[in-house]
Amino acid sequence: MSEPHQRDFLDPAVLGKLLRLPLNARSPMMGSVAGRHRSPVRGSAIEFAQYRKYVPGDDTRRLDWRTWGRTDRYYIKEFEADTNLRLCLIIDTSGSMGYGEPGSTRLDYARRLAGTLAYLAGQQGDAIGLYGASTGFDRETPPRRGPRHLGLVLDHIAGLRAEGESGLVQAIHEAAEKIRQRALIVIFSDFLFPPEPLREAFQHLRFRKHDVSVFHLLDREEIDFTFDRPTRFLDLEGGPSLLADPSLIQRRYREAVKEYLETVNDIVNHSSVDYHRTFLDERYDEVLARFLLGRNPKTTRTAR
Amino acid sequence: MSFLQPILLIGLPLALLPVLIHLINQHRHRTVPWAAMMFLLDAKKMTKGLARLRQILILAMRVLAVAALVFAASRPLAGGWIRLAGGKADTLIILLDRSASMEQRKLETGESKRSTALTRIADLIEKTASGSEIILIDSATLVPVVVTDAAALRDLPATAPTATSADVPALLQKAVDHLVTTESGRTDIWLASDLRQNDWKPASGQWQALRSDLAARDTVRLFLLTFPSVESHNAAVAVSEVTRRRTPDGLHLVMDLAIRRQGAVSPTDETTIPVEITLNGTRTVEEMTVAGPELIRLGHSIALGSGNERGWGRIDLPADGNPADNHAFFVYDEPARRQTIIVSDDPLTAEAIRTAASAAPDPAIPHVAEVVATTGLAQIPWETTALLFWHAPLPAPGTATATLLRQHLETGRGLVLLPPAGEGGAELFGVQWEQWLQAETTPLEIQWWRTESGLLANTRNGAPLPVANLDLFRTRLFRGESQSLLKLENGDSVFSRVIPDFSSEDGEDGEIGSAAATATGPLYVWGTLPRTDHSSLATEGVVFFVMTHRALAEGAHAVSRARLVEAGKNALSGYPDTEALSLGGDGDLLLAPGLAAGAFASGRSEAERRLIALNRPAEEDDTRVLHSEALDNLLAGVDYRQINDEVGSGASLASEVWRAFLLAMALALIAEAALCLPPRPEEASPSLKPMG
Repeated sequence: MSEPHQRDFLDPAVLGKLLRLPLNARSPMMGSVAGRHRSPVRGSAIEFAQYRKYVPGDDTRRLDWRTWGRTDRYYIKEFEADTNLRLCLIIDTSGSMGYGEPGSTRLDYARRLAGTLAYLAGQQGDAIGLYGASTGFDRETPPRRGPRHLGLVLDHIAGLRAEGESGLVQAIHEAAEKIRQRALIVIFSDFLFPPEPLREAFQHLRFRKHDVSVFHLLDREEIDFTFDRPTRFLDLEGGPSLLADPSLIQRRYREAVKEYLETVNDIVNHSSVDYHRTFLDERYDEVLARFLLGRNPKTTRTAR
Repeated sequence: MSFLQPILLIGLPLALLPVLIHLINQHRHRTVPWAAMMFLLDAKKMTKGLARLRQILILAMRVLAVAALVFAASRPLAGGWIRLAGGKADTLIILLDRSASMEQRKLETGESKRSTALTRIADLIEKTASGSEIILIDSATLVPVVVTDAAALRDLPATAPTATSADVPALLQKAVDHLVTTESGRTDIWLASDLRQNDWKPASGQWQALRSDLAARDTVRLFLLTFPSVESHNAAVAVSEVTRRRTPDGLHLVMDLAIRRQGAVSPTDETTIPVEITLNGTRTVEEMTVAGPELIRLGHSIALGSGNERGWGRIDLPADGNPADNHAFFVYDEPARRQTIIVSDDPLTAEAIRTAASAAPDPAIPHVAEVVATTGLAQIPWETTALLFWHAPLPAPGTATATLLRQHLETGRGLVLLPPAGEGGAELFGVQWEQWLQAETTPLEIQWWRTESGLLANTRNGAPLPVANLDLFRTRLFRGESQSLLKLENGDSVFSRVIPDFSSEDGEDGEIGSAAATATGPLYVWGTLPRTDHSSLATEGVVFFVMTHRALAEGAHAVSRARLVEAGKNALSGYPDTEALSLGGDGDLLLAPGLAAGAFASGRSEAERRLIALNRPAEEDDTRVLHSEALDNLLAGVDYRQINDEVGSGASLASEVWRAFLLAMALALIAEAALCLPPRPEEASPSLKPMG
């Protein structure tokens, strides 16, 4: 039996601070147990939803006799059903996620975000699943509830390694097929590949009624490209290295980045994806707080 | 391209420093693990061609800047001239035309063609040929001189102005001879000349040998520094035929005076020139009107006062474009007796000649003719003989008789060789008698005779001599380099003037050129005799009389106590104890004897005293220049470059152009800076833009 992985990506102070912020879904969830999230199914819980006409076969116990007494018509009284959330984390584990200094790589950053979210969801009693994405769909933990499963998920997060080429688009499609019930799917990736296939992948998730959130993890150096002397760039995904004089290609590089980001913006806007472009020098607790607040209906309404 | 500091050119590889630094930088690059390769690949793909070109241009500009700096430090020389030189030669031979026409000058600066050429060449030597051996050969002396100080080139006696004419073929031949003697390596020959036809002698037989000699030498390059322009504000004066005559009015000096205006002068253009005439130190000025290009006064008479039985004089024109042709010197004395000696054993021939030679066309000048038998040579009065007819076999070179004949010629006296009836004798002065040519039934047909000069020339009024009426029955052919005066239909010459070749006699190379030609007396070869069985010379007396007296007049100059001589290396060689009475220029005293125009007196005693007037040769006033086609023909097959220059122009054969290289360096650096400029600043870097 292998040693449990170190969970240093979880900061108790950050967890304590963020526990006060609930993790909400933006659309109704189909849970298996009662929870704090809205369900698309009308049930008999506390919160009134609507009246509807009785049709044969309806449970007569749910007839509203008072309304019958006033109108002489049969109405069924319906209430909102609250259920639990299925949180599915998809983490890109391609070689490019290893970018950065040891201990503070892009994957480490993704670990902190994903681990903290998993913990928060676990504390709310939500089910948590994990999907790693590189050339193979090598890490798959279907969503389940319970502290034990939470521990398993956190161990799997700790054990992720950045290597190989990105298989994120394929991973998203496969996840869309495998996760049959509505879920909150959070994707952590640098998306450093031609972005157009993402459009179809996100729409696939949306077709399955999933609530999709994306953390686009980037380093400022990758965007601004401020190198000043000839540099040999080693491809983290195993491709051939490239010797370049930054002074000669900087302008074109920035133009390419700009074009790429505009394409990504267009894709996420048209796919109704909750998109968060995140730089690795940002504090992850602030990023998560912004994310959680953005999903709180009350704060969202206030903000609007 | 030449450089004053060529040693610094070893720094030229420094120009590769930018490339080296670039390569080192390429190797010193840092290695970075990178995730966003897609942007890099895109950027590289997009900037591949343009960026590479830009980088190459930047490197090229840097290399150019460093190279320009090294070149500038090496003090490069360039200009219209030096690029022709193409590099330093082991030997530099300067051939300088010192003829009088080279003294044509620019009035504003006073620089002459000769001095301009010397300045140019001195500048060239100083800047490009500092280590080369410099040899100067001038047209007046034809003596190679080693030049050690180029700066002093203008001050050398061998480059001073002269009143001589030049012989360019002889000058080039001297250069070739020097090359052969010294076995020089890579040699540059710089010939400075004004391209006058009379100097270049395009008809000379020497050109063919010169062409082949020069063309055969791969290591020899010929540069012609030419000044073909003719000064339009110039007039030249010349005198000839100066004789003293006694008339009832007293003594008079009679001369032919010519004033010629050079350049394009309209026939209707008239100008008055104050002509200064100096006679024995007394000056008078006479206004002379020149209508059209020239004024010729034949028989111009100047009255001589009492006590002026002999003396000297000069005629001067005001200063103009060429000071060398502004004066003409003359001397006069009691006319000498014109004595003719006929050496012959043939009474008929001897008598005919004696009769013609003793008849005086001018009663003021006594004419004497004597016949001497071939066995009585000792009776010949060599000192007083103006013309000698030699009707006997030619003596072998080196014999006493041959030596006497040579001295006779060398002192300017005339010699006419007549065909002996029998054995022709040895080859003398390059002439050897061959077989007789006998007419069959009708006289030999005359095809052509020379009318512009020589014994058969037209008269002064242009009328031809009645040569066509001559009947020639028998003539003897001869071999030798000569100028034909009359040719038969088959091409054989009957009368010729011969350039005496003394080389066969003393084993030395004969002097070639004007100096030798003008110093020796006339040598004629007549193939026929004034006998009725040979020709009608005696019976048709006019032609024979004129021929005899023209030859006699030429020879009489040598025996005269006052002579007009053309300036040349040997012009005064036969006159000991010479002193100058008057000179053309202040610096002429320093010149070698015979090269400067002037009036001279020779001899210590009164009896020996002779007066000599040296003037530039008449052909120096001929302004015709050799055109480029003729030059190409003369030097066909020779690797030569012609550089036309202007008198007194400020151009230099070699000028420093380091400023141009510094400018090139500055331009290269500016271009490099422009290429290195960063692209226009973007509005905001992508990372600072609001996130979607």
